[in-house]
Amino acid sequence: MSETTSADRATGLARRAWIVWSLAAVVAALSTDNPVYRGLVTLAALDVLLTWLPRGRSLRRLGAAVAFSALFAVLVNVVVSHTGADVLFRIPDAIPVFGGPVTVESVAFGVTVGLGLTAALVAVAPLSLILESHDIVDALPRPLERTGIALATAMNLVSGFGRTFASVRDAQRMRGWRPRGIRSWNEVMVPVVLTAIEDSVLLAEAMESRGFGAGPRTSFASHRWRLWDVAVCATSVVAATLFIVLRFAGAPVDWYPYPTLALPEVNPILVAACLALALPAFAPPAPQVREPVR
Amino acid sequence: MSGPIARLEHLTYWYPNAASPALRDVTLEIEPGLTLVAGGSGGGKSTLLRVFDGLVPQFHGGRISGSAIVAGLDAFRTPIPRLARHAGLVFQDVETQSVYGTVEREIAFGLENAGMARPEMHDRVDEALHLLGIEKLRVRRLATLSGGERQRVQLAAVLALRPQLVALDEPTSQLDREGADAVLAACLSLATRGRSVLLAEHRLEQVLPAADRLLLMENGSALGPGPVRELAARLASPPPLLELAIRAGWMPLPLTVEEAANSVSRDLNLSHPAARSVPRGTGDEPAWEARDLTVGPAADPVLEGFSFAAAQGEVVAIVGANGSGKTTLLRTLAGLLPPLSGTVQRHGGRAGYVPQNPASMLHLPTLRAEVELTVRRLGVTTAAEAGTDTADGVLADFGLADLAGRYPRDLSSGERQRGAIAATLAGRPDFALLDEPTRGMDLAARRSLGAYIRRFSARPSSVVIATHDIDLAAEVADRVVLLKDGRAVDLGPPEVAFAAGSEWVTQIGRLFPGGPVTVGGALSALDRDIARGRR
Repeated sequence: MSETTSADRATGLARRAWIVWSLAAVVAALSTDNPVYRGLVTLAALDVLLTWLPRGRSLRRLGAAVAFSALFAVLVNVVVSHTGADVLFRIPDAIPVFGGPVTVESVAFGVTVGLGLTAALVAVAPLSLILESHDIVDALPRPLERTGIALATAMNLVSGFGRTFASVRDAQRMRGWRPRGIRSWNEVMVPVVLTAIEDSVLLAEAMESRGFGAGPRTSFASHRWRLWDVAVCATSVVAATLFIVLRFAGAPVDWYPYPTLALPEVNPILVAACLALALPAFAPPAPQVREPVR
Repeated sequence: MSGPIARLEHLTYWYPNAASPALRDVTLEIEPGLTLVAGGSGGGKSTLLRVFDGLVPQFHGGRISGSAIVAGLDAFRTPIPRLARHAGLVFQDVETQSVYGTVEREIAFGLENAGMARPEMHDRVDEALHLLGIEKLRVRRLATLSGGERQRVQLAAVLALRPQLVALDEPTSQLDREGADAVLAACLSLATRGRSVLLAEHRLEQVLPAADRLLLMENGSALGPGPVRELAARLASPPPLLELAIRAGWMPLPLTVEEAANSVSRDLNLSHPAARSVPRGTGDEPAWEARDLTVGPAADPVLEGFSFAAAQGEVVAIVGANGSGKTTLLRTLAGLLPPLSGTVQRHGGRAGYVPQNPASMLHLPTLRAEVELTVRRLGVTTAAEAGTDTADGVLADFGLADLAGRYPRDLSSGERQRGAIAATLAGRPDFALLDEPTRGMDLAARRSLGAYIRRFSARPSSVVIATHDIDLAAEVADRVVLLKDGRAVDLGPPEVAFAAGSEWVTQIGRLFPGGPVTVGGALSALDRDIARGRR
């Protein structure tokens, strides 16, 4: 069992700074079609993620999500878009929708879309891999706090949901159940949902018994901002804004591989903006804000 | 502090739409110290505990009459957040009571809800961690803790509000032995420091001697709280040592092995207890055999080199701490999981595996329908094949005949559990595998399950049970296997596995070094001794 502790969990940035950085990186990655910028944002975000990833946290699920979405993007583009000058091979025209030429350009565009998704996934990964659910709750504005807690708590039930599913499936198989078509899954899903409902009621009861739901709340954690947090927020916002401003100013932000593949144009200001997103990787660890133990 | 912290008078309570009351005319006072709440499932223990912090009736609704005063407050009407500062409740299941992902935040949750200033909150969290001796867990993530650690964190979370009364609703029922011991020790230490601790529990043997008072709840009515020794004699299902004492007529009733030792004559001849010295298995061919089995996830096998052969009708108990691979082994033997290496051979017939918490699979309108579903599916033509083995017959075997027409999810946890086991075994497998079958069951239910397993194995069908419940294993097993550090150790028959000197000794085993380990074994040894004396 992993021994991840929040002592190892010096997160470098304040919670809200993480959220600002994350959003800015997503905006930067998705406001351009240029694979160079998208690649740079991915690298910057990956550097930040690996710098602050707590011990024992696995990147496997992120890797799977990235691989799946990137492959999916390439495949869809290849089989659906049939424009472009350099034909690799042809899918028989007899096949509706998919039939037609497969071109180098459509592969290239698929890769660009995949890169965009990859950048966005890596940029939001710290919110779940580095921060705890309560960090997100703490970062929410007051009126959303209670809703946030309810949602974060509901997430605690997800692992139990998976276990119930496995256990019910085993149990039903031992009673002669076999998966045959969608309707046969009723015998697994109905009990799983019933159990989930019962668990939610138990959880609601436990939360209520600890005084949740009435009167003004306070928060255990303090939100002390350091200069680094301000610096990261400022650079991230500027970086994201540059992409949007330059686009409206008519600068060539995008890249379009059709009809013939050409090297993407690269603007040094935007390259700098992408690299600036790696700033959190250089932040010193935030000191633990705690009173000394008496 | 002096005087009772809580007082209930003529309290009667119906859950919404309930036909009969869950609590009947309960009048009692709770004083500082440890009050043990005992009684069968469905007797009203959980409902009673929920009165003190206002969940009954404020969260659950329903009808209530009489009165409940807790720390001078009317528990029917005082808002729950206010009551929470005086009376806290720890629930059975750790998963469905944690809010945050890390220990210190979890403990602070109630304090945040109380609107406490941050410096005081930090002090209170420190204090609660210290009270339970779990300072080291402060910054850990809950998901990385063992069940026993998590349950102590939940207790700390309740204690942070400094309530005078803490109620715990079967806090150890989901834990392994080590975890349960740690949680019970924490309860005892709180009680000795002057708090009122109200503990509803099925594992009585450990807490009975330490309890200040005993409160019996049966069928919604309360008896007590009163002197432990006096009321213990009236327990419907006493734990093994008490059962032996009652049946052997020992007076005064011993609560500990040491006390009981005074009642046992010193020259008692204990050599070779008669209990099952003849193996019940028949035939030379093993019923099932595992050869050099390695099981677990590919990267990280939990158990290696498991070789074992069991005879027809043999009951094998697998013991070991949580995470030692019991469930994985069972699923592999059942054919639900392919082994990483090695083979499992079964001598024909069908396997029936009952997973942990089988009650989560129940979804039909009646218990009878659940049993009939299995019977129909597996094509067992019950009536013709086995005479009495109809759905109702199967349920009767588990003492559930009266509940055949009830909606399974409305039953108590022990009843549900037995219903689910009945529904699985109704398929009459030749090889039954049960994973923690007594989890959440009271003693009476455990006993009827034990009796059923022995009848079932006599068909003959082979049985494998993974369990923390050594009393069950001692009652029904022919052989005991310990899983530890990725290896299996054959501990031999229960008379050896659970005898004095073993890490897994039963109370009875401690009482009779070298002798019987179960109540039945002890009674027959005593009978033989008396017969010898007469001669």
